[in-house]
Amino acid sequence: MSSITTSDFKNGIFITFKDQPHQIVEFQRVNPGKGSAFVRTRLKSLTTGKVQEFTYKSGESVEELPVETQEMQYLYPEGEDYVFMNNQTFDQVTVKGTLLGDFVKFLKPNDTYQVLVHEEEAVGIRLPKKVRLKVTEATDGARGNTVSGATKTVVVETGAVVTVPLFIKEGEMIAIDPETGSYVERA
Amino acid sequence: MKTWQNLRDHPENWKRYFIREQVIRSTRSFFDSQTFHEVETPILLAHPAAESYLDVFETTLLDRNRKPTKAYLSTSPELALKKLIVAGIGNCYSITKSFRNMETDSFTHNPEFTILEWYRVGATYTSLMEDCKNLLLSINHALGNGDTLTYQGVTFNLAGPWEKITIKEAFAKWANIDFDEFLNEEMARRIAKQKGYTVAKENTWEELYDQIFLNEVEPHLGKSVPTIVYEFPGCLAALSKKKKENPNYAERFEWYIGGLELGDCYTELTNWKEQQDRFDLELIELKRLGKTTYDYDHDFIDALKVGMPDTSGIAVGLDRLIMLYSNTTRIADTLFFSSYELFEK
Repeated sequence: MSSITTSDFKNGIFITFKDQPHQIVEFQRVNPGKGSAFVRTRLKSLTTGKVQEFTYKSGESVEELPVETQEMQYLYPEGEDYVFMNNQTFDQVTVKGTLLGDFVKFLKPNDTYQVLVHEEEAVGIRLPKKVRLKVTEATDGARGNTVSGATKTVVVETGAVVTVPLFIKEGEMIAIDPETGSYVERA
Repeated sequence: MKTWQNLRDHPENWKRYFIREQVIRSTRSFFDSQTFHEVETPILLAHPAAESYLDVFETTLLDRNRKPTKAYLSTSPELALKKLIVAGIGNCYSITKSFRNMETDSFTHNPEFTILEWYRVGATYTSLMEDCKNLLLSINHALGNGDTLTYQGVTFNLAGPWEKITIKEAFAKWANIDFDEFLNEEMARRIAKQKGYTVAKENTWEELYDQIFLNEVEPHLGKSVPTIVYEFPGCLAALSKKKKENPNYAERFEWYIGGLELGDCYTELTNWKEQQDRFDLELIELKRLGKTTYDYDHDFIDALKVGMPDTSGIAVGLDRLIMLYSNTTRIADTLFFSSYELFEK
């Protein structure tokens, strides 16, 4: 464990809050009218997946938790959880759906992900910059109208619905930004 | 993607950005119809107000021989408007740009923002509570919304009774704190520690107060009805008048709708000596915090010496009002060219 202050906060890092491991989902500077600056965070509990807000004094110290990444293959969903296999040890681990959030809709069986591990527990996934998925359902709306930038929605192989430009056709591979869920480019 | 590019691709988004011009137009007509004077105040200043909680933008004015003089960007039009009140202008308002450094990494702040201030001569802060309500209603009517406004899924009846709660009542209700006890610094440290907050030696009373306010009180404000929270602790009086019957509290209020803090109102301090003492304390605090220091506006103290009539005034973040009417939680969604976009790395 190492001590950090609020100026080291980044989205996605893990810290101890009220003696429990949490992930910083989001943070922003706030200041009360005529007051000094504070840092408001949204913290996700690694034990319950519940998200709560806490506002730190600017400069306050917290303990950052060491988290390592391990390459794992995604296997299948199990109830509300998701089962992965460690590519080195072939051990199977379960990640709570609440810890994966919206990313679950882009999980593709047999693909490899960077799984975050804290004290031998899988606590989440390091989101890739882009996920590449095949378009499995698309209406034929494309007449190359790229000037007005009109869009349509398509379904990708994992079942997620994505808004894309009109020229995207069924069977094409597209890149999606998993953080926003929005189309990036043809892939 | 830049906002102008997004707008070219998504013409349906223009509507949200055009809320700004409608809000500004109806704000002007609200005050003009009550014969307020609209005043232009300077943005480039030789001396700002002394405010330790703000970080001022510093720049340099060059004369024709390139001889430099320190200059500052205005953090609010307050001192200029008050000087005009001393001069006898009467009721007045200003819609202007203000600048506060370090106000980045926030969904509700932009370092350059639009502020609305208005001053009612002969009034106290209770009549400005009415102004707030009437202003919101008047903008809402102009937007064709009737008396109700929906923000982030909650519908607010602007014409209905607003919640009014003192800081003391709010701390009792939501933080379970006897505020008269909390006013004592030792007690405050003990209470904050008991609640599990980190309390370090260098933490001031104000920090402990603010942290409890932000964590335990503020989330409840303006949840289902607009809320006015009033009677602030005397040490947070800023430029407001302390209550005659109990100087532990000041005639200051803030108002909230749907988690947005919309403005800060005072029954204005008119006593020049008290104002000068407060500014001097602010300068000491600025030095302690290692912030940009400056000499404050002594001309303002001179104006108060001449005598300012009893007045109440308020500062409202106009961008926040625009966020409210355009139903967005991000200030950047209301700006064509937000600082976040301009300074994006």
